[in-house]
Amino acid sequence: MKLEDALKKWEEEVRQPSLAKKPENKKEFKTISGTPVKPIYTPLDMEGIDYQKDIGFAGQFPFTRGRTPNGYRSFTWPHDFYSGYGSSESANERYRDLINHGATVITLALDLPTQIGYDSDDPLAEGEVGKAGVALASLADADRVLEGIDLKKTGLGFVGNCIGPYILSVSLALAEKRGIDPAYLRHFRIQNDPLKEYSGRDTYIFPVDPAIEMATDVVEYICRNFQDKWDWQWVPQYVCTTQVRWAGVSAAQELGFGLAHFLTYIDSALERGLSLGDFVPKMDWHASSDLDLFEEVAKFRAGRRLFARLMKERYHCDDPNIQGLRISLWTSANRMTAQQPLNNLARITVQVLAAMLGGVEHMWAPAYDEALALPTSESTRVANQIKLILHHECGLENVIDPMGGSYYVEKLTNQIEEEAFHWLQEIEKMGGVQNAVAEGFYYSEELKGLYRFQKEVESGERKVVGINLLPVEEEIPLDLFKVDSADESRQVKRLDHVRETRDNKLVQQCLEVLGEMATKKAGDKKVNLVPATLEAVRANATVGEIHGILRKVFGEFQAPVKVS
Amino acid sequence: MADKRIRVLVAKPGLDGHEMGARLISKCLMDARMEVIYTGPRQTPEMVVATALQEDVDVIGLSFLTGAHKEHTAKIIRLMREKGMDLNSTVLVVGGIIPPEDVTYLKSLGVDAVFGPGSDTRTIASTIKETAGRKRGKND
Repeated sequence: MKLEDALKKWEEEVRQPSLAKKPENKKEFKTISGTPVKPIYTPLDMEGIDYQKDIGFAGQFPFTRGRTPNGYRSFTWPHDFYSGYGSSESANERYRDLINHGATVITLALDLPTQIGYDSDDPLAEGEVGKAGVALASLADADRVLEGIDLKKTGLGFVGNCIGPYILSVSLALAEKRGIDPAYLRHFRIQNDPLKEYSGRDTYIFPVDPAIEMATDVVEYICRNFQDKWDWQWVPQYVCTTQVRWAGVSAAQELGFGLAHFLTYIDSALERGLSLGDFVPKMDWHASSDLDLFEEVAKFRAGRRLFARLMKERYHCDDPNIQGLRISLWTSANRMTAQQPLNNLARITVQVLAAMLGGVEHMWAPAYDEALALPTSESTRVANQIKLILHHECGLENVIDPMGGSYYVEKLTNQIEEEAFHWLQEIEKMGGVQNAVAEGFYYSEELKGLYRFQKEVESGERKVVGINLLPVEEEIPLDLFKVDSADESRQVKRLDHVRETRDNKLVQQCLEVLGEMATKKAGDKKVNLVPATLEAVRANATVGEIHGILRKVFGEFQAPVKVS
Repeated sequence: MADKRIRVLVAKPGLDGHEMGARLISKCLMDARMEVIYTGPRQTPEMVVATALQEDVDVIGLSFLTGAHKEHTAKIIRLMREKGMDLNSTVLVVGGIIPPEDVTYLKSLGVDAVFGPGSDTRTIASTIKETAGRKRGKND
């Protein structure tokens, strides 16, 4: 019997009759992104797939099965923690604690005033200093925040998407101050992805075009000055779609939007005269990992394949080092519930499992208490250890791409690749990411997805434990983290001290030069702002002073606020 | 007056972006036949109160995700009093990531209700309607 007929026979004679006795629990079964799924997948769903052309082997075009040839069998996880809060002193204490517990990289969570280029004593910073991260208002802060931490041993990571030149400068100047050749910093990894801020996280400063160009300044500066030191893991930019996904879009949209951003950055760097091999191998796609295990695995596989095809077809690139997309991620903190927070450990575990089955090479997981407050030291460590348990204790290190060949996952991989390409083209049809931002395209797609999900939960169609399934009235109190409210005034005092003790004449000169360079850049985008920023940072100019000058030249982004 | 639509200002005070929660709530309150004015992010307390006065709203809804809820809410309430806005007639609700002990603090300042992650938007809408109705009744 042909497979089609056998399937039809099974459906009519076996499955359908069973439904009379045990009807289905839902009218429609869908992935978390809303894609309808069938009850069973078979080799019929693999039709049109050419194994060698579309799936292949790990470390080879089209990289569906993995970027590297040997998966987790030759892999060591970096112990990277995203952390930071309160005063320089309390953040420093947390970092040392994490290093004592095995952290090899510290990614500094910066407070919002710093990320948006305001000093800690700016009226707009009131109540925000040290809240979502630690303040890094000047080189002096960086020195104090990282006191006693050996930068040749512990790697540094940053998000700082709209202050890239400042963050790079602070890191370089700090190394100099400590007598380290900056090329010997253990690791320097900066997200440096302003497009994320206009599409999901909203921590923007400048209009889109100058923001992209300033990010490219960082990429170019690192490529031109530290190219031969790249064994030391310098990441000048990575494209982040975690927040755009959390904001409500589908898995395919997350990938499509991310690739649109990735290609925008590639084109911007190529215009500076860099070649693909200079920077693409050091960049990665920083995705999210949601709760639908199979859809996420398919998304990571589709992401690698689509990226490789785009490199080959659009950029005529045959170098596997460039075609192979490195994926890092932050699992979906938005799925953490404030209700029964320990349940979140199960959710995080599945998100981490999805990432590992998808061949992800670097990840952060949220802490189980994140829907209630900033994470504690303990919850931060637990989050990091889940992947190690899966890796070493649950067999995840053994086999490359173990989901490859699953009829369902291969079908989803195809669907997501197709849909993601559609969304990439939609943005290109609009005239690029700048227009997508200006038209409020991201907000409108996010709101559609978020609203759909919310209504599914509220109607009971989608069950969430602790929300609409087995909710409890009385919560077991957790030991939550608290920021010391005196931290803000301590930080403001330190900043006063910096301003009193530095050479203010030199600071003024540096800021004037930066202003002149920025004015030149407004006319010629290829002018690089890193050298002038570095001079200003060395002189202890503050984040607010530096970005105040740049705000004057480039203006500020105004978000569309229509709710629809 | 009873069938006049409730006017709600949804605002994100402070520097935090993360505005999808505020946008979602705005849409859901519109579904519940309220008139919603959404400010967008990065509003100072002064801007929030000025918009509330200018738009003559019945309800102010504030959204916070990054821990600055105590400072900004306290300042907004102080400014509301200074500008002659009466908390006996204006409803003030807060939503977002608010640790349990801060819920008690916010309520002691005069916040009518606090909604955390996972709240049902229909409950939010009905709480707002009920509180607004009660406060209107007091005033009329």
